[in-house]
Amino acid sequence: MTLTDIMLRIGFAASLAVSAASHAYLYVHGYQYIPTIGTAFLIQASVSFALALLILLGGPRWLRWAAAAVGGGSLVAFTLSRTVGLFGFSERGWEPSPHAAITVCAELLTVALWAGALVRWRMADRSSTAAPRRVGKVEAATGSGP
Amino acid sequence: MSQDPRAMSRRQLIRHAAWFGAAVGFSVVGGEVISHVAGTAAAERAHARPTLRFAQVSDSHIGFTGAPNPDVTATFRHAIDQINNLGYTPDFVIHTGDLTHLSSPDQFDQAKQMLSGLRTPHVFTVPGEHDSVDDAGQKYRSVFGAATQGDGWYSFDIAGVHVIALVNTLNLKKLGHLGVEQLEFVEKDVAGLSSDTPIIVISHIPLFAMYPDWGWGTDDATQALSYLRRFSSVTCLNGHVHQLFSQMEGNVTFYSGTTTAYPLPHPGDGPAPKPVTLPAGKLGDALGIREVSYTKGQTALALKEDKLQ
Repeated sequence: MTLTDIMLRIGFAASLAVSAASHAYLYVHGYQYIPTIGTAFLIQASVSFALALLILLGGPRWLRWAAAAVGGGSLVAFTLSRTVGLFGFSERGWEPSPHAAITVCAELLTVALWAGALVRWRMADRSSTAAPRRVGKVEAATGSGP
Repeated sequence: MSQDPRAMSRRQLIRHAAWFGAAVGFSVVGGEVISHVAGTAAAERAHARPTLRFAQVSDSHIGFTGAPNPDVTATFRHAIDQINNLGYTPDFVIHTGDLTHLSSPDQFDQAKQMLSGLRTPHVFTVPGEHDSVDDAGQKYRSVFGAATQGDGWYSFDIAGVHVIALVNTLNLKKLGHLGVEQLEFVEKDVAGLSSDTPIIVISHIPLFAMYPDWGWGTDDATQALSYLRRFSSVTCLNGHVHQLFSQMEGNVTFYSGTTTAYPLPHPGDGPAPKPVTLPAGKLGDALGIREVSYTKGQTALALKEDKLQ
């Protein structure tokens, strides 16, 4: 476990928690009454909270993939809601302020951290191909990737 | 036989399953907590009876005949029965326009008679463009226009909430239009109100640009909304588009309501907003009513969309 791994973990957890908190706040303060969108906000917030906690606790690699999917999906939904609409809902620009900007930044950070982690995983995989025995021992000892 | 070095061991599988279970479990717990927080606020509202409760019904199109809905009278009656069986008496019911399909005296009489069956102290209406097909809304106003101003606009206060009913279906070119006189009315109407007064604006055509290519917007709504920017809560309810749609713009939330007659396509689906014929048994899912409640101290109004059952 390197310092970079720990920082990545904390970064994932923080960005997910911020996005979750923002969605939860908006859900409680009015969005719950918007058909479909209200439910989507509730699911986004609860899943993001769960992923933040489990990644912080050192969960396996696929949790980061799930975090990237949630973050990326939220960004797509944000874009759709400001262009063609999403499930009969639309918003304008960076409203509601400041939540829209905060969540977009947090979700971009989540996706960026996943991209960074992906690069590290690729590099680690290449190293493991070069020295299969040594990495094999590490994998057997930890039971999961970083 | 050699084992694939990338294959997952039994122990790893159990470990991943445990993480997955934890993810699902924490998600459920998180969802419950958030729902509880939201529900506590709702329960508090429910405990102390909402300050205001009303229902919205829209686009009954009495007189319409066609495959999309062979009996609009029956579905409108169904909607009225559903409002009468909400389990409480709404403080008022608002019909957001297109009461009739062709503005004939018979259709207005029938609409008026049916609305009189609502168990509520007040029924309010605004005209749709189908209610002013050939006479700039004169027949509409003769039936529903008592105590209104200008071409049928008005406002009233109820339970601390200020309601403004606007007419944007006359002087139509492509988009809805309010006109100078009505804009002045809005400006003067809200001038004396404190900024924490909840405002509800009712119109037939959306006051936001939902889909201008189909005329789903109001060309001078920006001016009207500029008079409402200082209020902490502004809720705009409209009909016309025959489907649920919401838009948030700062302190203003727009809610398009559905219809009791027939659905229209989603914005941009097809060349024009023509009535859609749904498969047998599916019409009820597209039709409905809306319940709205407001509790003093809350910023947002609570909406509940009910399908015709």
